[in-house]
Amino acid sequence: MSNFEDRLLRALKEEITTRTAEDGMTAVTPVRRGSRRRLVGLSAAVAGVAAAATAVAVVVTGLTGDPAYAVTRGADGVVTVRIHSFTDPDGLAAELGRAGVRAVVDYLPEGQTCAQPRGEHGGGQGRFGARIGRDADGITFAIERGQVPEGSTLVLAVSKSADGDSAPPFATTLEIVRGQVAPCEPTSMPVPAPSQGGTSEGQDDGPRLDSGTGGEGPSLSSRPG
Amino acid sequence: MRLNEDPVAFEAFYRRHVDAVMRFTVRRVSDPHLAADLTADVFLAVLDSADTYRPGRGSEVAWLYGIARNVVSAQHRRAAREARATGRVAGRRLMDDDDLARMEERIDAERQMRGALEAMEGLPEGERAVLELVAIDQLTVSEAAGALGIRQVTARVRLHRARRALENVASPSAVYLEGQA
Repeated sequence: MSNFEDRLLRALKEEITTRTAEDGMTAVTPVRRGSRRRLVGLSAAVAGVAAAATAVAVVVTGLTGDPAYAVTRGADGVVTVRIHSFTDPDGLAAELGRAGVRAVVDYLPEGQTCAQPRGEHGGGQGRFGARIGRDADGITFAIERGQVPEGSTLVLAVSKSADGDSAPPFATTLEIVRGQVAPCEPTSMPVPAPSQGGTSEGQDDGPRLDSGTGGEGPSLSSRPG
Repeated sequence: MRLNEDPVAFEAFYRRHVDAVMRFTVRRVSDPHLAADLTADVFLAVLDSADTYRPGRGSEVAWLYGIARNVVSAQHRRAAREARATGRVAGRRLMDDDDLARMEERIDAERQMRGALEAMEGLPEGERAVLELVAIDQLTVSEAAGALGIRQVTARVRLHRARRALENVASPSAVYLEGQA
């Protein structure tokens, strides 16, 4: 059942989204696409993946080298994130918040990740893990409209490379948590168990899980469960 | 946290205040469609003014009522009517028959408040504004001062004058003019 108050709230939230998108279009340079698709290598794997169960579609590609990070919100509501240097997690989370995606971001030393679980999984069970291609340019991913639903949070944990803040990360975990997100408790990463994962490993061309995103490069996507 | 950028924060804000905003409008207009438009307009103005919103600093209520007052003022209503022709969120279009009936009930329930507001019309604007917020909308004096952008002591003086002036008017609505200070 809905009434005037509910409908008005919905209309106003759409208005927020529209305004944010308009701001994003004028203020942020669109992410450069296509030109730098080759990923030089592969990162270490992330264990405990149950990609199919979570509500996110992620595009993982290489990037060209611009500072720290950039968050772009397109007119279609797709929020594109690129991280070049893993130095300012709070700034990135705030930037994502401004783009309408509530986010918690943690950068950890190589081999460390946040203890699971971080909270109740949004959109299904299991957790979403993405492998990030090793590349001099960092990582990028995209969040489509509605993939981090209201009341949910995008939780990103990056295990940095021992080679430095700007080196391709050791591993990256991306998940959607509904409601409260537990603070990151650093813990050693579990040993990857390939048979468990929803991701597969190629050799030289980065993660390639389900390229359903039309030429955007390797991608990993799943539908909300 | 920005109200105009964070839908979650905005929703929390909206749910805290939507009832008060609807009450605010039906105390001032008796047309249910217009009341719906104004309710929407107040929250749109909240988005427009989100830059001045400081959670935890000063009173959220004062901030909101300051905005609501501007939106519901007759002058704004004229301008808004024109803007609405091209506007994106028109309150009245969001109402179904049930909502209309509920809005009419709200309007009925506030009839006496509208009467009291009419009784204040003869007061000087500054005094009336304070009395309105305190007696009709049940704000504290400090919230009313915040909403009007005046000092508390000024609000207090104006409130006192307004009440004294009204004592001389034997109005049946005077009983409603005893707000909380």
